[in-house]
Formats: sequence, structure tokens, C-alpha cells
Amino acid sequence: MKCEQYQDLFTDYINKQLPAADKAAFEQHIAACPACAKELKAFQQVWDVLGEVTIPEPSADMPMRFNAMLANYKASVTEEVSVWDKLKGQWQQLWQWQPRWPMAYNLAILVVGLSAGFWFLNGNKNADSEKMKTLAAEVHELKQSVMLSLLENPSASERIRGVSYTSEIKHADKEVIDALFATLNNDPNVNVRLSTLDALAGLANHPEVRQGLVQSISQQDSPLLQSAIADVMLKLQEKSSVGSFRELLKQKNLDKGVKQKISKTISKLI
Amino acid sequence: MLTDNAIMLKVKEGDLDRMGLLFERYHRQLYGFLFHMTYKKELAEDMVQHTFYKMLKYRNSFTGTGEFVHWMYTVARNVLKDEYKKMKRAQLHDDVDNISDILPGGVHTGDMYDKKEAARGLHKAMEKLSDEQREILTMSRFQELKHQEIAEILNMTEGAVKVRVHRAMQELKSIYTKMES
Repeated sequence: MKCEQYQDLFTDYINKQLPAADKAAFEQHIAACPACAKELKAFQQVWDVLGEVTIPEPSADMPMRFNAMLANYKASVTEEVSVWDKLKGQWQQLWQWQPRWPMAYNLAILVVGLSAGFWFLNGNKNADSEKMKTLAAEVHELKQSVMLSLLENPSASERIRGVSYTSEIKHADKEVIDALFATLNNDPNVNVRLSTLDALAGLANHPEVRQGLVQSISQQDSPLLQSAIADVMLKLQEKSSVGSFRELLKQKNLDKGVKQKISKTISKLI
Repeated sequence: MLTDNAIMLKVKEGDLDRMGLLFERYHRQLYGFLFHMTYKKELAEDMVQHTFYKMLKYRNSFTGTGEFVHWMYTVARNVLKDEYKKMKRAQLHDDVDNISDILPGGVHTGDMYDKKEAARGLHKAMEKLSDEQREILTMSRFQELKHQEIAEILNMTEGAVKVRVHRAMQELKSIYTKMES
């Protein structure tokens, strides 16, 4: 081999990537050729000095930024999917039910207003107060239907809107409560679940709501919800929740902060 | 432990959270590469994020036939290319004079100081290499990738990589010698 060909092996030699057989021949040549030996030494020096350079440490918040980016990306992917869904079913969604319920709702309110006006002007109390009651009942029913259908919406913000409607429903019936619990226990979005918990806490005068909340403790895996539910239980002074919380404490992967909070909640409740 | 490829294939199937594992494994190495290619800490960090973003977005282009790392470098090189387009090289390397910041600190004994000076000089010399030469040298010297791996990333033969690394070293040495004299 010529000197030039040996020189092409310098990097491999320095990196110890040279196969044993080549290495022997290479070293033999370097021992015999002063020019190549000098070149190799200079080469090695440059290589070593390059190794002296340390780069600044990357910022400690890089993993945090990555997680934020990942969360954003995931959100945008679901958004993309729902945009596609919307496009696909745009006609139906636009004209079939989405505006229909709110429009019907608005119309009903208009009718109520007009009837109220009539009622005041005519003073025909008995017949119209009957009508008023029926109308009010219809509006109430309508509100419930709007809420229930919003809970089925693929968009998380629409579902939250649906949950917030419950504050307007005075006497939540079983259907509404069941729908809220289904959302609390199964909705994929934490924010929706949190607002559902709020809404249910507002309905805590129903015994079945309190009971449902206690049962729901074991079903929550998000630390946010676990601690929010602990707050609600403490506020309601729901002593029957202690057992469920103790069960929760047995979970191995329970968040440390949540663990402390739940232990505190239990000690306050007993 | 799951291999990189197995994890990336899970990501491809839609388990996006798993990308966190790959970030854990490779963000430092990638940052090192991008730092050497730009000499800007913040820019390099941004580009790491951007590379991972692109790997998420274009996860379907990962076939699993090659190593994940090679694919990662391919994506990172595209990010780099875009960045080069955005700014002229002169601007990109305007803080070379701060290069002493990145050299090992400590006591200024004679030997240490010499090495520090030499490394500073060599880094300035590296600036003067072409992007291609700096890239191949970075991969070989700083990323400690094997010639065969570099060949796969750059899509050339192993022999071509050897010759190029060698030429880049020679070029670097001659630029450095010229600067010294």
C-alpha cells in the first residue's frame, strides 16, 4: 500500500476501529515510515485537542419543554381528527341537531316571554298560569336534552358547555345524574371530568349523587381529579368516603402529593 | 429493555407518549450534534425540540428497516438545512468569539491553558470548514458514530465516509496551521 492509503486509515486507527489484521500492517508501516509517523502524530494531536472541547450543558427544562410540545401535539392531533369528523358530517351536524336544540331552546324562551307578556296584559290568570307551568316544564326538559346531547359531543369544550348547563337545571333527574356520572368516570379529557365533578358537587343534596361520588373515587387515575375529589368529600363531610380513600391509598403508583392529601383528608373526616 | 426501533414503531402505531423515552435516551446526543453545527446553545436546544416534533409528525415515514438513530439524524439534518436557509452562515456563527466559554475551565496551569488555546483555535478553524466537512467531522469525532453508521445516515459508502473524514481532518489541520502562523 502507498503512504496515502495508510493515511486514509488514520481516523480508524485513532478510533480503534481498525481490524486487528490491518492494525498490525498499519503499525508496521508507521514504524518504518517517518513521514507517515509524523503525519499521524499531528493528526492525533488535532483529534485529541478537539476532544478537549466540552459543550455547554443543555438546559434542565428541555424535558419539560418536550413534554409540553408532546401534549400540544397530541391535542392538535385530536383536533385534526375532530376537524375531519366535522367536515365529514358537516351538513348533518350543522343542520340536523347542533343548532336545532339551541334554536329550539331560544324559541321556547321567546314563546315563554311572549306568553308572559300576554298573561300580564290579559290578566287571565287561571288558564294561563297552567300554560305557563307547562311551558316552563317544556323549557326545562329542553335544557336537559340540550345538555345531554352536548355531553355526547366529540369536542371537549362542547362537553364542558354541556356540563355547565346543569347549574341551570333546578331538579336534576336520574337521567341527568347518570349522564354526569358517565362523564365523570369515562370522559377522556381531564378538564371535562373536573368540571363534571364541580357540577356534581353542586348537586350533592341528592343522596345518590353523594353515593356515586364515593364510588367514583376508585375509578379516577388522574392525580388532579383524585385530589379534587378529596376536596369535595371534605367539603361535604362525607364520612362514608373514608373506605374508598383507604383503598386508593393502597395503589402503588399513586402520586406522592395526592397520597399526602388523601391521608390528611381521611384524618380530617374521622 | 425495548429497543429504540420497537419504541418508535409503537409511537408510529399511535402511542405518542412513548416518544418521551426516546427523548430521554437521545436528546443530549442530538443536542451535542446540533450545538457543534451551530455553536448556539439556545438554537441547538430549539432544534432538538423541532427534530422531535418532526419525528412525531412524520412518524409514518419510519419504516423500522434501519436504526432509529440513523433516522433521527436524517430528520435532524433536515431541520438543520431549514435553519441554514433561514440565516446566513455569517450570522449563524457570530458568537465564535465566545467559544472560550465552552472550553473546560479550571486552573490556568500552563498545559491546560495551551490546550484551551489550541481547542479555541481549532474550533475557529472548524468554522471555516464547509458545512459538509464540519458535519462529518462532528459525527465522527463528537458523536462518536462509527463510519458505517455515518455512511447510512449520509447515504454513502463506508469507504467514501473514511476518505471524507480524513480530508476534513487534513483541511482542519491546514486551516489551523495557517491561522497559527
